[in-house]
Amino acid sequence: MKVYLRLGSLFFLFAFFSCANPYKHLQQSKSASPSAMMFKPQYDKVLYRCVVNGRVAFKKFHLSGLLFFKQLPDSTTRAVFQNEMGFNFFDFEWSKTDSFQVNKIIDQLNKPALIKVLEKDMNLLLMKNIHPETETVFKQNGQTYYRFSLDKGVAYYIAKDKTLSSIENAGKTKVITISMGEKRQKNDMPISVLFNHHKANFRIQLTKIDTDVDE
Amino acid sequence: MNKLLSLLFLLLITGTTWGQPKGYSTVKNMQEFQTAMAKANATLQTIASDFNQIKNLSLLSDKIKSKGKFYFKKEDKVRIEYTSPYTYLLVMNGVQVMVKDEQKTSKINARGNKAMQSVNRIMIDCMRGTVLSNPDFKPAVFENTNSFMLALTPVTPEMKKMFRQIDVYLNKKSFEVTRLTMAEQGGDFTDMNFINTQRNTTVNESLFKVR
Repeated sequence: MKVYLRLGSLFFLFAFFSCANPYKHLQQSKSASPSAMMFKPQYDKVLYRCVVNGRVAFKKFHLSGLLFFKQLPDSTTRAVFQNEMGFNFFDFEWSKTDSFQVNKIIDQLNKPALIKVLEKDMNLLLMKNIHPETETVFKQNGQTYYRFSLDKGVAYYIAKDKTLSSIENAGKTKVITISMGEKRQKNDMPISVLFNHHKANFRIQLTKIDTDVDE
Repeated sequence: MNKLLSLLFLLLITGTTWGQPKGYSTVKNMQEFQTAMAKANATLQTIASDFNQIKNLSLLSDKIKSKGKFYFKKEDKVRIEYTSPYTYLLVMNGVQVMVKDEQKTSKINARGNKAMQSVNRIMIDCMRGTVLSNPDFKPAVFENTNSFMLALTPVTPEMKKMFRQIDVYLNKKSFEVTRLTMAEQGGDFTDMNFINTQRNTTVNESLFKVR
């Protein structure tokens, strides 16, 4: 019985610490720092190989395709996801003022919760609907954490040596972690991106394809 | 009254040419066309070819390019292998379908999936020359000096959701498929051009293995 109690206590402690706020030790920076908005990606168009892996109710799922981002001359942004054979799965659009709309989505993906998750992922990556006036800067272990308030929870843009290395969306715990690969310039789109959805239990992996988009 | 008749006549004339692709005219003798196509395909056993694919994003004025290898073996085996700029493999062997990307191989039985059955069948029908009898599409056949063009309009709800039209271009002498254009409802279309095509060459059965 004692053994069970000890194991139970250990499990409780483990659960308590794993759910604890991972940002509570951050120290607010007293010195003036440039805003994280300097990392807002600037691009004309970028094509990614996209692979999605996840699990719903113990059932694994896997999906692959191509994700294409383009900024149009009228300052709208489009994100088009298609399968390898060219069939469009969705076409999302952000206006000049970051207002979001779905231009097309196939029936199988047309679920409000899923669209919301994808919109949030892309908002975080493209730094859309991020409000600079809510920014607070923290430092820890040589890293700078730029925190922005979102409609729900917060977003941390985490940089080391003036290079953005990851983005985290959190409430009481981490919801999404976005790990960024190398960038050629400070505000380029990264060569690779990994979205890890801790609650929704799926991962989106993007790998940049350099040469195969023409006008 | 005369003006009204003239207008109706004009509408009738132009109406007959609305569905006709530029540079092509309607095949007059369908029976002759079908007989010639059946004869050309009677001896067809295999196709091995390279392909270039261009996805045209109409509203964005952009093209996404890829290329790979294509294989067909009668009656119902297709292998589409994308080699650049990404690797992706699609194998159709009867009702069995296998897809393989950089991370995972998935096997699907198309028997319970009507949309997949239809896509599977249209690809096979295009290659073996039985596309005119495909029940999911209404065909119209056009010709110019060098090629025939089969314009396939979807009639089933599943295919209507996916495609506005599929155009199959055939070499006029050999009836080989040289180009396949799949237009979506929104105006985007995918163009597959088949090059270095070899007919009835040895195509190893293992290429169509669904593992």
